Amino acid sequence: MIRPQTQAFAATHGRGAPANLSRRRFMQGSTALVLGAATPMLGAAAGANRDAQATLAPNVFLAIDGDGGVTITASRSEMGQGVRTALAQIVADELEADWGAITVAQAVGDPVYGDQNTDGSQSIRLLFDTLRQAGAAAREMLCEAAAQEWGVPAAECDAAEHAVRHQPSGRTLGYAQLVPAAADLPVPANPPLKSRADYRYIGKGQVHVDANDVVDGQAAFGMDVTLPNMAHAVIVRPPVLGATVASFTEPPAQPGLIGVETLDGVGLGGMFQPLGGVAVIADRTWTAIKIADALQVEWGESPHDGFDSTTLAGQLRELVRADGERMFDQGDVEASFAADGQDVEALYETAFLSHAPMEPPCALANVTATGCEVWAPVQDPQSTRGLVAQQLGLDPAQVTVRVTLLGGAFGRKSKPDFVLEAVELSKRLARPIRVTWRREDDIRHDYYHAASAQYHRAKLDAEGRPTAWLQRTAFPSIQTTFNKAAVAPAGWELEMGFSNLPFRVPNQRFEYAGVEPGVRIGWLRSVCNIFHSFSSNVFIDELAAAAGQDPIAYRLALLGESGALEVPGTQPPEGHALDLGRLRHVIERARDVSDWNAARAAGRSLGFAVHHSFRSYVAAVVEVQEDAGTLSAERVHVVLDCGTYINPDTCRAQMEGAVVFGLSIAMRGEITMRDGRVQQDNFDGYPVLRMGESPDITVELVASDALPAGVGEPGVPPVPPAFVNAVFAATGNRHRTLPVRA
Amino acid sequence: MAVELMVNGSRRRLEAPEDTPLLWALRDDLGLTGTKFGCGRALCGACTVRVEGVATRSCQTPIGGVQGKAIATIEGLRESHPALVEAWVANNVPQCGYCQAGQLMSAAALLDGNPTPTDADIDAAMSGNICRCGTYGRIRAAIKQVAEGAA
Repeated sequence: MIRPQTQAFAATHGRGAPANLSRRRFMQGSTALVLGAATPMLGAAAGANRDAQATLAPNVFLAIDGDGGVTITASRSEMGQGVRTALAQIVADELEADWGAITVAQAVGDPVYGDQNTDGSQSIRLLFDTLRQAGAAAREMLCEAAAQEWGVPAAECDAAEHAVRHQPSGRTLGYAQLVPAAADLPVPANPPLKSRADYRYIGKGQVHVDANDVVDGQAAFGMDVTLPNMAHAVIVRPPVLGATVASFTEPPAQPGLIGVETLDGVGLGGMFQPLGGVAVIADRTWTAIKIADALQVEWGESPHDGFDSTTLAGQLRELVRADGERMFDQGDVEASFAADGQDVEALYETAFLSHAPMEPPCALANVTATGCEVWAPVQDPQSTRGLVAQQLGLDPAQVTVRVTLLGGAFGRKSKPDFVLEAVELSKRLARPIRVTWRREDDIRHDYYHAASAQYHRAKLDAEGRPTAWLQRTAFPSIQTTFNKAAVAPAGWELEMGFSNLPFRVPNQRFEYAGVEPGVRIGWLRSVCNIFHSFSSNVFIDELAAAAGQDPIAYRLALLGESGALEVPGTQPPEGHALDLGRLRHVIERARDVSDWNAARAAGRSLGFAVHHSFRSYVAAVVEVQEDAGTLSAERVHVVLDCGTYINPDTCRAQMEGAVVFGLSIAMRGEITMRDGRVQQDNFDGYPVLRMGESPDITVELVASDALPAGVGEPGVPPVPPAFVNAVFAATGNRHRTLPVRA
Repeated sequence: MAVELMVNGSRRRLEAPEDTPLLWALRDDLGLTGTKFGCGRALCGACTVRVEGVATRSCQTPIGGVQGKAIATIEGLRESHPALVEAWVANNVPQCGYCQAGQLMSAAALLDGNPTPTDADIDAAMSGNICRCGTYGRIRAAIKQVAEGAA
């Protein structure tokens, strides 16, 4: 048995505050998010310093024990992006701690940590200053304690390698010796922060803190936590969203079968509430799977019985061929299109996608007379806690949500419907219940990445430069998951690669439209950037081809001079405009590192794309090889500018992963629905890239002292269009629909 | 019924139907949760163990068929294949880590039979293991590092 991970001193802090149900700015509407309210108060736990255990815990993010051991609490969920390691690097740097003395604990869901919603590629961006201050406060307290011990001015002391040194005399005291005295000192409000030149861990590669546990099979994922008397549940969910259980044939009594429960569910607009269905509870996972697989259920009618993804694709095409809701209009687009000159237009389409994390959704819940405890791979334990409390009619203080490692998530595990299933069953059966989703449940009942269509039209002047640019986008909005009537794309969805297009032409118009889906729509790694980067990057490639110009040179000419371009983009923190100089730089570096202009061997062709998202800039060159009519992605060059980075090796790993993820989207990814039912259910029908199809990947990381920006998501958007542009270069075939059918 | 399995060199007894997949017997009965459930249909490789040295999808392997055979799981890999495990850490291979037990077991089976595999050998041996995080390049590098040590 793997015991639940240690959760450091977290559950006792801050209670009763309303859970933050927002994902990105969804619940904030159009007004700016008040970030300050969600920023943890450093020093809030100062009272803990008087603890008899002689623990120095100046804030909720770190504690140093009497042996000098440092526990750093990660408030964000680990799903492969290396966040537990990176957050610890930031604290350890200011603390001047020995890396070997550090243990990383995982925070429970609690507002005392500020926003814990692990999404939007913003963990580092939002916590960088907070964690530096957390580490610096402890370091200053240790220096002060040493100064008092020696009777010298604190200014003569400095910290390094887990000890404080008195510079004039060369005396040193280790952190372990200083903890009792330091714990009695006041927590400094504004400790001095190190200069960039003195960083010890920030900006340096570090193996992930969980790597050894992973390779030893000891890492605790959602499926690995067990409790005494735990039972296993597998749920047969409605094949069509919103259908309810009409009847089912009770399975025969058999060894291991504990119970069968009918669950109510919700339809479109049901947010993160479960879908309902029939739950089979058994003594072992396999017993529950076997009985659930054989269960015969009759389902009632659903408003989505007729939902068909092919029909939806037709609706989306029609929407982008007609005028949409206008959100940006400058110059006179109609007059420009009526004038002489080359006219280029194109319609692009992308498919529904499933997240398919390697660990299917799962959760363990234990509802008792006094409260509820949950162990689950969730991206946002605070909103999960709030929803569990609401479901049980409890105060959030009675609910503890413990975050396990996430066996992949990509956005799926920001929606804790699977936790609420386990909670409901644990309540009914009065024992700990683990709900395990079969892979078929995962693929059939996801919050899908939206299918989409885009229409682009441009007028080129005699030099091939666009004088007019019209773009339209249509897709079912993620808002429908919260309110089924809210079908129009939201501003924050359009800010993902559509309304924040990085260039302006004299006559330019942006329009959008929405449509009601028959499935739940959700965020998937880089979200709407996937299809907006695809259409705009391929269209620019088409314009370059129409103008007879090199795609990269054409793009550089299209961009304005270096400087900031005012574009919509209100994701917190504010004040981080689109920097054309940085965008230009990653384009030029990708051109140079890929040796773009060099001659290639027969059958080798290159494609380019660049995209700005999550405040990072990523350019990609994909090299495809044509061999006897078959095409393969052989090599990919990525250049990333994510501002100040913490762990360069993680940044590279995330770009490598993004290439594989992006190529899966470009070459394989497609979920279809007919008669309201999802037609794929496992990795045969929904294939993803495998080892033999994975290209060689090189990553260049741009050195930068800009604010930290996103890493987990922004690598994905440029990959599919760069692949499609390479296929065009190889074959002359312009694929405007994803996935590419070679 | 009573079933006896040899896991990582230890004799383990459990009470379970013979058609129980080895995956679930390891996880639910023997508490060896390092072996992962990914697809249930031998499509993803997350559940890979070695049976008599052969990479085997435990989600499709009834325990009745592997009684008396040597079963190796991730929990025993550091002892049997220390260089492989260390190469995985040195290359910082895991991202989320969920598929890595299966990847490592496939890699161990490959290297046992072929200590210096070519790229094509690696692709052939490892293409049954999906990694959704996209760690393929680092897996390849780690396997090559071990192979170079053996060469």
